Parts: sequence; C-alpha cells; structure tokens
Amino acid sequence: MTRNILFLLLIMISFSASIQAQIGGHNLMEYQYGQLPGDTTGSFSTIYDRALLDYSYKNFKVGGTLENFYSPYQSRNYTRLSQFRLQYNSKPLELKIGNFYETIGRGILLRSYEIPGAILEDKSYRSRHYFHRDLLGASAKFRHKDFTAKLLYGKPLNNVLPPTFDLEDRRSDRIVAFQSDYLLNGHILGMAVMNLENETVQSWLAMANASGAILPSLSYYTELAKNVSDFAISDFSSEAAFAFYGNLSLSLDRFGLSAEYKNYSNFLLGSGFNEPPALVREHSYKVLNRSTHVLQPQNERGIQLEGFVYFPDKSTLIVNHTQAVNDFGKEYVFREFFAEYSFALKEKHDLKLFGDFAQDPFKLEENRISTGFYADWKLNETFSLNTSYEFQRFYRNPAEVQNHVFSVGFSSKSKFTGYVVSELSNDPVVVDQGTKVWLGTGVKYKINTRHTLQVFAGERRGGPACNSGVCYEVLDFKGVELRLSSRF
Amino acid sequence: MKSLLIAVFIILSSVNILNAQQVRNFVLNDIQNKSQSFEELKGEKLTILDFWATWCKPCNKAIPELNKLYLQYREKGVNIIGINCDGPRSIAKVAPLCKTLQIEYPVLIDMNTELMNGLNLSAYPSLLIVNSSGKVVWIHEGYVPGDELIIQKEIEKQLSKL
Repeated sequence: MTRNILFLLLIMISFSASIQAQIGGHNLMEYQYGQLPGDTTGSFSTIYDRALLDYSYKNFKVGGTLENFYSPYQSRNYTRLSQFRLQYNSKPLELKIGNFYETIGRGILLRSYEIPGAILEDKSYRSRHYFHRDLLGASAKFRHKDFTAKLLYGKPLNNVLPPTFDLEDRRSDRIVAFQSDYLLNGHILGMAVMNLENETVQSWLAMANASGAILPSLSYYTELAKNVSDFAISDFSSEAAFAFYGNLSLSLDRFGLSAEYKNYSNFLLGSGFNEPPALVREHSYKVLNRSTHVLQPQNERGIQLEGFVYFPDKSTLIVNHTQAVNDFGKEYVFREFFAEYSFALKEKHDLKLFGDFAQDPFKLEENRISTGFYADWKLNETFSLNTSYEFQRFYRNPAEVQNHVFSVGFSSKSKFTGYVVSELSNDPVVVDQGTKVWLGTGVKYKINTRHTLQVFAGERRGGPACNSGVCYEVLDFKGVELRLSSRF
Repeated sequence: MKSLLIAVFIILSSVNILNAQQVRNFVLNDIQNKSQSFEELKGEKLTILDFWATWCKPCNKAIPELNKLYLQYREKGVNIIGINCDGPRSIAKVAPLCKTLQIEYPVLIDMNTELMNGLNLSAYPSLLIVNSSGKVVWIHEGYVPGDELIIQKEIEKQLSKL
C-alpha cells in the first residue's frame, strides 16, 4: 500500500514536469538528532516529512497530503495519506469533498485551521505530526447576490492524537451544519444550526449573528450560540451551554479602538473542535506568548480593549487591557495591561519597547511584570544586526520567579538570518533547583524563492506556544534540527 | 523501504521541475463583509497579492509603501489586493487598522488562511506578483525598509515583458 502511494507520487511529479503549471505543492522535511531533556531514552534521529500536491484545472482542484515520520521506535512511525481533496470553486458555488477547512461564525461552533510550519509532538505519544484541524466529509457553499448558504457534513480531527491512531479515534465526532447569512442595508444577519453526534452525545446547537456599521467609523459584530436540545432556548443559567461574543470597532483618522466582550458557559464541543474568540492578546514576545491565558470555553467571561495610534512619523503605540473571569467553584480573575511602542531611530534603526503587567491566579502567577526591547540596527543597505532582551518576574507560592531571554542575530535582507538565543529561568515548574540556562544557535537561509533551509543546534526551552489563536505545547529539545521547506 | 522513503524526501525537497504556481479564482469577503472574487479584482496586467496580519509589524510597515505603489501603478493595469489572515482572536482589529493606515486598495479576509495555505505560503508578509493568466511570476517574503524598491523594480520588469 505504502509502496503504491509512493510510486503514484513519483509518477505525479514526473508527469507534472511534462505538463508544466497546473500542479503545485509544498514539502516540509525536518530531521532531528537529539533528546528531550530529562528523557531517559538518550539521543536518537527522527525524520518527519509532509508532502502536499495539488492539481488544478479551471475551477477544479484535486490533491492529497502524504505524511511520514520515522524514528528508531516502530510504534511511533507511520506513512499516511493524511488528506485528500476534490474541490470546485466559482463565485456562486463552492464544493469540497474529502479533507477541508471550515469555520462557522467566529469559531464559536466550529473552527478549523492549519498552523503553517508547526509540527506537533506530544509527550505521551512521541510521534510527530503536522498541527492542523480539518474536517473529513463534504461541504457546499452557495452565493447569490447578498445571500450566502453553506451546508456541511464532516468529522473534525482531534489533533492531539497522532496519525498512528485509528481514524475512528482521531475523528470521533460527526457534525452536520447549515449556515446562511444575508446582507441587508449594510448589516449582515446570519444563522446556523448544527447537529453533533459522537459515542456519548447527540445534541443540536443554534447560532445567530449580526454585523455591520453603525456609523462610517463605528462597526459591530455579535454572535450568540446555544445548545438547544438539552436546555430551554431562554435558559442562560450557569448550567446551560451557550456562548456570546460581541465587538465594537472604532477608527478615527490615526486612532483605532476595538472593544470585545465574551461570555461562554459549558461550550466545549465534542473533542474540542470549536474555538470561541479568546479575547486575550496573543503576544509575539517569548515570555508573554508562553504566559498567554488559555481560554476555558466551559466557563469564561471577560473583555478586551485595544487602542492604537499610528503617528505621522510612522511610530506606533498599542495599548491593551484584558480581563477574563473563570468560575470553577472558586473565581479566578485574569487581568493584563500591555503597552508597546515601536519607532525608528535616525530613520533607519527599528526599535520596539514593551511593558506588561498581569495577575494570573489560574497559573499561579502573581504581580507578573514583563518588559523588554527589540532592536534592528541597520548596518548598511544589506546587513542588519538584531538584538533583543526580554525580562519577566512574578511570584508563585510565594517564591520569586524570573525569566530572561537574550538574542543576537545578523541578517542579510530577508535572505539570510543567523542568531544566538539564550534563556535563563529559576521557575520551579521547569527547573529542579537554581537557575537553568538554555543556549541555542540557528540559521535560516532562503536558497531561492522556493527553498528555505533552517538549522538549529543547542537547547530550546519548550512550554505553551500560541499561534493564530490556537495554543499548544512545545516540548523542550536538545540536539540538532534541520528543516527544509520547498514550494514547487 | 527506508531508502525509497529517503529518495522521495530528497526528490520532494529538491525538485525544481515546475516554473509556475497558479492562482485560481477565489472568493473572499472584504472588510465590509461583501464577497469579492479574484476575477473581479485582478489587475488588467498584473495583480499583487499581499498576505498580512494586524500583529505582524513588518506587514504594517509595508502597507504604506504598497499604498504608494498602488496609487502609482493602478492606471497602468496593476492592482493590489491585501489578504488579511487574522484569526478570530484578532479579526476585530482589522477594520480600524485598515482605516488608520488609510489602505486604498481592496482588503479581503482569509480568516481560515485557506487561500494562504493553498498557495503554500508560510511567512508574513508574503507578496505575490501574478500575471493576467493567473501565473505567479514572483514571490517575496518578509519586509525590511527598502524592499519597496525591489518590489517596484520587479513590477517594472514584469510590465516590460508584456
């Protein structure tokens, strides 16, 4: 079977050479030699590869994705045709059969995604696979003037389980959903219904949403979803399953403001295929990204306010306040205040400063202060030197915890980047005693517009990482890693 | 078996047999929630697709420069389409930022990054120059000040080929 798939793949590649265009694809290969620090198995080699091929003809597209993982441990290894797709796309009609991505509303009922370049490894299974959540089934979308309707049937992927698990385990939920919306006088009114079925649950969910502009500079979006089979439609008690999300966006010349509100109760659907908006800023700074408050859709309410000013000299100020309340018998209130100022020095060096204060009782991080800078020193038209430092301090039971991240890099336009990164921490959650130092170095080289090579050597600190609104766990790593990404 | 797999990895990683990536017609909503198709928006000669997100600093820096290029080349058959890839977490910030940055060209929302993934792009910003038959003739990833001159040079080069 595997040989046949590989043979077919080679034929497709060879065939594509003669027909030119029409076939496109992407390949991601990552080789690692190393170990998870603290793991008793020692260092070993693994190789992961994901090849995606698509053939397009007029409005049709057909394709597949082949995933492989090989290590010295047979039980972790696999070769799988993990996706296949047949799609038709025109303005009035969109049809998808096989594996596809779909989101209903802002993700309250259903969110599927693919995090580019993210390879997931779970500490329990130790098999590596691409981080995405798709659906296996079919969907049809119809558009006519101001009316849109979408019907879908699918089995969402439980992406915690690697491809070594059976399909039935990885896709235990079945959903059928219908969504439609209508543009009326500049406002969109929408509704959706969904039937969810798995071994333990069969329920109906409904959603209504509205969005539009109140004034030219003021727009809104609201969405309310509810389990309507197990609870009365008017039941919004703490036992009921519902989710409400709303936002207001204001823009005045160089000033912008967004205000968001959420109230989620018992709204984790199936294996977790929905992803209501978190309303917590997703930071790119390492110390803050790692500390991101992870949404609890079973019980969470809160607000997020973000304002930004874009000054005439192109400098930017962003301020953000987030509050999230979880009530699990005891009330946990997460609060965060964040500010970032980015500007150019002497019109050629780019600098970014940030400051953050938070209280996170859920993670036992009290009076958390984070600050730091990023600087990009332009040496000449081609070369630049990148330096950064991040600092974080908080109290936990009641010890003082400090995290530091230093990095120095050198880049030549966007073609080559080389860096050294070091982290220090005395966090008892990750360090037995004293202070631990992580030191790593890497290069990223764009061979041409199609091929990018990345090499990392040293020790990397793991922990929670958040990307595109989705948070996942990255494991520590010590060793050498080589990644080749190719587009063709 | 292992050697066959390694051969496939190597072939797939180094294969350079195709010269063209194609942009198929796609339909996405704009920031006013109105559905727009690539066919309706594409430039007569060239179309520039700029994939960006609100949290991406280089993207925000590139936008004013793309705005200038748009004003300079729109009468010459070149259109720019901004493709915003913010997820549900930050999508509320897109409309105010577009107004604050005074973006003149159309901005479409690719909240699931389906279009971006379909084109096998993985960096922000990613800028594609597409010719009138939908062929991707140039790709540029990232942005540092001065890149706008490289982009302009490439636009001129592609226009001169027509």
